[in-house]
Amino acid sequence: MTARLIMNQNPTVLHTTDKISLAAEHIMKYRYRRLPVVDEDGKYIGVFGVNCLLRLVLPKALFMKNGLESAAFLNTSLSDLHRRFNELKDEPITLCMTDEAITVTPDTPLAETLRLLYGHMGSLPVVDPEDGRLVGAISYWDVGSAILHASV
Amino acid sequence: MVEHSAMGAHTILGLDPVWLAASIFLVTYGLIMIERVNRAIVAMLAAGLMVLSGVLTQEAAVRGVDFNTIGLLTGMMIIVAITRQSGVFQFMAIWSAKKVGANPWGILVMLIFVTAVFSALLDNVTTVLLIVPVTLLITDELKLNPYPFLFSEIFASNIGGTATLIGDPPNIMIGSAVGLSFNDFLFNLGPAAAFILLVTLIPIYLIWGRTLDAPQELRQRVMAYDEKGAITDKTLLWKSLGVLTLVIIGFVVAHDINQQPATIAMFGAALLMLLDNLPRAFSDQAQNCHKTYGEVEWITIFFFIGLFIVVYGVESTGLLEKLAHEVLEITGGDMTITALSILWVSAIASAVVDNIPFVATMIPLIEGMGEVMGGSDKLMPLWWSLALGSCLGGNGSLVGASANLIVAGFAERVGHPIRFLPFMLMAFPLMIFSIAISSVYVYFRFL
Repeated sequence: MTARLIMNQNPTVLHTTDKISLAAEHIMKYRYRRLPVVDEDGKYIGVFGVNCLLRLVLPKALFMKNGLESAAFLNTSLSDLHRRFNELKDEPITLCMTDEAITVTPDTPLAETLRLLYGHMGSLPVVDPEDGRLVGAISYWDVGSAILHASV
Repeated sequence: MVEHSAMGAHTILGLDPVWLAASIFLVTYGLIMIERVNRAIVAMLAAGLMVLSGVLTQEAAVRGVDFNTIGLLTGMMIIVAITRQSGVFQFMAIWSAKKVGANPWGILVMLIFVTAVFSALLDNVTTVLLIVPVTLLITDELKLNPYPFLFSEIFASNIGGTATLIGDPPNIMIGSAVGLSFNDFLFNLGPAAAFILLVTLIPIYLIWGRTLDAPQELRQRVMAYDEKGAITDKTLLWKSLGVLTLVIIGFVVAHDINQQPATIAMFGAALLMLLDNLPRAFSDQAQNCHKTYGEVEWITIFFFIGLFIVVYGVESTGLLEKLAHEVLEITGGDMTITALSILWVSAIASAVVDNIPFVATMIPLIEGMGEVMGGSDKLMPLWWSLALGSCLGGNGSLVGASANLIVAGFAERVGHPIRFLPFMLMAFPLMIFSIAISSVYVYFRFL
């Protein structure tokens, strides 16, 4: 049994040229935690996560490596956050996409796929090892429904 | 200078110990410069070779390590590792920015002074690690280019570090080797550092300061910061400030009570660790101690240990003393020429290479000049020149000091990278300017 069996073959994807406003729309509407990003040829590029949206509306100094250890002194209001979001919503999603996300291949064994998913927030992109194309995604819900519907 | 017994009985294959030691030394320097292997690994390997090849015995190698320097560095690292958790450094940075009404030039000046004072009392790397994130937060809020701020903080950290015994590793090494006290450094180098810092503000103002501006509405956002919120642990704050104050008093009186700085720093570290761990359950203390010790920069410590052994190996062959005489031949044994040469050579060298190995080598070399110059107590102008040159020289390029690279790393992360050449184009002349001031200072004060 491999990842191929449980993956969603038509996941919602973002394109490298999409704007942050579109990513936010998808994430808010469907409650996604992370969305895979592909280029025009369908090649897997990285992942855009909901935590990225959070990072965008707060100062960079908070989230960089060795950044501020506390933000308790900031007097930030919701309108401040909204203003920051507006400043950035037309930027491309690559601004805070991560390309270090863990991926699996369609042939990754089932148990290993689940182990990787466990240590991971959101869904796992499934990438073809040959041509680097995104062929699917696996979320906790895909796994859950696959297990519940399996024959005993 | 070094007793003959420092040498091993036999070198490997009967090789000439002078050439053997010199070769190991030069290869070590080369490897440190090309940065292919971490410097701590290079130094430890080279130290091992000095012993294994028979240049030094193990006993001699251990004698070569200046444990006063090692102890002082480690002790201060532990104290800072605990103190920084209290948030006091961020508090100071925000407080100072608000004191000037969040006016951009005012903030720049305040952050320069805060950086300089912290760098004088703590190590420069820690200082910039704590001040730069706050700086980036403020420049982000004010929509200003952080470059002028970061550039100035690099300068402030190296200039501030020059002012005291504990400010910068070269001073720790020189102080330890020559037996100079905290007060010696403060009185002899403090005024020079303070003056250079003030004068450095002039070009910074002319180039950037005049045009720095931020709308009132953005400044209000910085004014809305609540600096007290930066204090994350109030009890720890008082404990660490208390110990830090005691340690600095300890440094000031160390000479009079016949104690070495390493003892003061290590005892202070132990005291602060006690205060930090006392409220915790015994079973939790191991983990907390582990965390504190883990924050000691072991790379620096092992680099020092290895380097001391390598330099001692060369020293034990008498090569450095010979070299000292050669240098004096060139300068004609003239104190003024020798002192100013040391000042300028160490400044240029420290701008391009790590100043720690440079100073480690210069110390025995200068000690070797004692006889010709009429006794080791006549060497003081040379020591001050070495300290000024090697500390201030760190401003000459991005690789001149570790703190510079830390700042550049931050700048990169927020999308305003500091490039090697543009930085040097501005920093090198400014560094030369500070050395010119130092030359005048050394001439009138010490010669």
